[in-house]
Amino acid sequence: MSEDTKPDQRRESSAGLMQYSVESAMPFGPVHPSLKEPEYFKLILEGEKIVQVIPRIGYVHRGIERAAQERTWVKNTYLFERICGICSFAHSLGYTHAVEALTGFEVPKRGRYIRLIVAELERLHSHLLWLGLVGHWAGFDTLFMWVWKDREHILDLEEAITGNRVNKSYSIIGGVRMELPDGIAAKIQDELKYIEKRADYYTKLVETEETFAVRTKGVGRITQETARRLCPVGPLLRCTGIARDVRAEDPYAAYDEIPPHVQTSNDGDIASLLTLRLNEIRDSCRMVSEAVEKLPTGPYKVSIPRAVPQGESTFHVEAPRGELFYFVKSGGGSAPERVKVRSSTVANILTATEMLKGHTLADVPIVLTGMDPCFGCMDRVSVLDVDKSKEWSIGGEELRMYGIEYYKRKLS
Amino acid sequence: MKEVPRRNIGEAVGEMFRTVLRTPITEKYPFGDKVVTERFRGKLDIDPVKCTGCSICEIVCPAQVITMVPVGKKMIGTREVDIKRPSFELYTCIMCGQCVDDCKFGALTLTRNFELAVFKKESTIMRKALTIGK
Amino acid sequence: MNPLQVVELLLFPGLTFFVWLAFAFEWLDRKTYARMQGRRGPVVTGPFGLLQPVADFFKLASKEEIVPTQSDKFVLRWGPALYFAAPAIGIAFIPILGTQAILYHPLDLLFMLFILAFSTLMAAMLGYASAGRYSTIAIGRLVVQYTSYEVPLILAMITPAVLAGSLSIQGVVVAQGSMWYIVIAPVAFAVFIIAALAELEKPPFDIPSAKTEIVGGWMTEFSGNTLAYVKLTKSLSYVFLSALAVSLFLGGSGGPVISANQNLQSVFYASYFLVKLFAVGFLFFVIKTALARVRIDQATKLFWTIITPLSLAQLAVAILWVFR
Repeated sequence: MSEDTKPDQRRESSAGLMQYSVESAMPFGPVHPSLKEPEYFKLILEGEKIVQVIPRIGYVHRGIERAAQERTWVKNTYLFERICGICSFAHSLGYTHAVEALTGFEVPKRGRYIRLIVAELERLHSHLLWLGLVGHWAGFDTLFMWVWKDREHILDLEEAITGNRVNKSYSIIGGVRMELPDGIAAKIQDELKYIEKRADYYTKLVETEETFAVRTKGVGRITQETARRLCPVGPLLRCTGIARDVRAEDPYAAYDEIPPHVQTSNDGDIASLLTLRLNEIRDSCRMVSEAVEKLPTGPYKVSIPRAVPQGESTFHVEAPRGELFYFVKSGGGSAPERVKVRSSTVANILTATEMLKGHTLADVPIVLTGMDPCFGCMDRVSVLDVDKSKEWSIGGEELRMYGIEYYKRKLS
Repeated sequence: MKEVPRRNIGEAVGEMFRTVLRTPITEKYPFGDKVVTERFRGKLDIDPVKCTGCSICEIVCPAQVITMVPVGKKMIGTREVDIKRPSFELYTCIMCGQCVDDCKFGALTLTRNFELAVFKKESTIMRKALTIGK
Repeated sequence: MNPLQVVELLLFPGLTFFVWLAFAFEWLDRKTYARMQGRRGPVVTGPFGLLQPVADFFKLASKEEIVPTQSDKFVLRWGPALYFAAPAIGIAFIPILGTQAILYHPLDLLFMLFILAFSTLMAAMLGYASAGRYSTIAIGRLVVQYTSYEVPLILAMITPAVLAGSLSIQGVVVAQGSMWYIVIAPVAFAVFIIAALAELEKPPFDIPSAKTEIVGGWMTEFSGNTLAYVKLTKSLSYVFLSALAVSLFLGGSGGPVISANQNLQSVFYASYFLVKLFAVGFLFFVIKTALARVRIDQATKLFWTIITPLSLAQLAVAILWVFR
């Protein structure tokens, strides 16, 4: 990458003085300790100040949508929940709901309540993970260890209910896979009380600890106009004051009976993201507690024949990171004809690069973590040709031949 | 409007000293026991007596772990058909439990054993169902 | 020199003793850091994990050393030795057994200042010689941080010298026979602790080697033997600065009742010194655990607007006290 090691020097003269402005491009990633998953960000720096960030994505592209076309409907539940480790159940919900819409069967009430409980528990664990990570990137390892210590309580609950901590394989086409274990209701309520108490303590800590607050207040600020222009989703949108939440606007699972209180905060910087996510943690605790109390009796799944009728369906869920969108097309066969996943980080990544302008290198990990990136969810290839107004997806062999032809033309 | 709380340095010190007095959360595994929950999905196990060789597990496995191997022949009417039994390549298994759910005879279970590391890949191939062929 | 001096220089209280002290400090650092976060810290190697720093040192020394092709190989070969020599020589001047130190000079407090500056210079040289992208950013931050904390550190170290009327550490220790200087000049002690955290690159001032931003700071390109010795030197600097704090502000081996001049058993003096040394070290560890990392511009602002005026004021008060 020779273009990155040589700084691009420009001399500008203003008012008769020779002004020396040096812009250098520094690569951030794909392998960097502050990125959990590889993505390439080219930071255009002036000294230590960032002028522009250019992302380049595609490092975690695994061809999952193509792999889905070769597996049966049931096998695909296991494939799609492995797109992401943190929002795994949200992907599972998106896929199963989209397929259930095609079949026309409705999930019984108890199944929907249980889906809500596990989905909100996953939101809890994802937000706690994020909180620990922000502490870690800010150099506050103590907060990181404490928060992840509390997160273990949630993960043990999920293991007791579903059998695994991530990749739960719990939602199937037609409901949930098995019944809740005995005595889980009391355990859930105890853990929720503990988590709420800790969330109160962390709210106090992140606002009053001077060395941490000074790293997060005013850092990565976006305004509502920028948000409306760049269209982020999820907590990144809600922290600017715009109240959009898929669970409230288009309820699925049991959210029509236990609606969420949509939280917003007003400043659009990392400190307000912290407050927002801690409020969401408390709200999720409330919803799970209510769902456990009001859990209806009855069957938890419905048997659906394994042939899915022809048609197309779309579904969106509120993953912990934002709106997650599934499109499923069936040709009547045993495998889906096309599945398309649009995850939340795709929508957030340009906003995050906008948030970084004017800040220094020290703020890059915090701001990039602030949008809660999940690059594993993000990389799906879709090609849009603006001139020809045509959109298509490129298969593997086509891409390979295209690359060969391109470089042949370039060298000749 | 919530008033902005006063900021000071060393807010975490009180909690730090309280944390020292509690037991640390690190478990002592492997120098102590690790307890997993009841539903934990660990290594796959088969009860060879209950298996009838219907091959449903091979069809539904998402990771293509199961291969049905012919171990003998029997007569159905005047036709001679293979008797098949499953062989498992457990290094590919993702422990999803689909075969457990779909086996009508209850021959498969997911145990709670999570210590699965081996030195050779071949030693994870489970062939114990192949010995009962009749 | 007679054999006894050689033994003193190499074993006790000489080089070997200081290296073991550095290992002990690292062990205590990791244990308190872990326990305060709810973890266990080193457990496996040795009882209570006491041999963990030793094991880490030998593991690093046994690894292959990878040197970037564009680096300055001469500096990278001899630089770490000089970097190690700086605090090692510095500790030799600090009186542990009563008023006796291994090396003595009437002006050795000034020499301590030189050693601290030399340490940072060697770190910057090593980072510059590494010729890596992250090292270059790191030494920029290192030099900026150095200019910020150097003035308060010097002022905080001069204050006990003014109070004692002597520029040798021994003189300062002896003059604290009646009252520790931490009681008379507590602000200087606080300023010294804060500036020492910046010198050691520990949170909240660990920007030059911020693990999560610039990979390893100026130590990014080191591996193998070089890294082992650099990490040992960082622990040794820890011991060195704590020992300085004990000598200048906590009376060295003496105390409020017992003057360091009396001829008590040197074991008694040594153990009293060690108790105070670990107490100061524990203070460093607690501060390190409790605070996040500040940005370089915020650190500079903190040092120039608050810390330096405080230390100037303290020095003025000390001068007035002496000439009252």
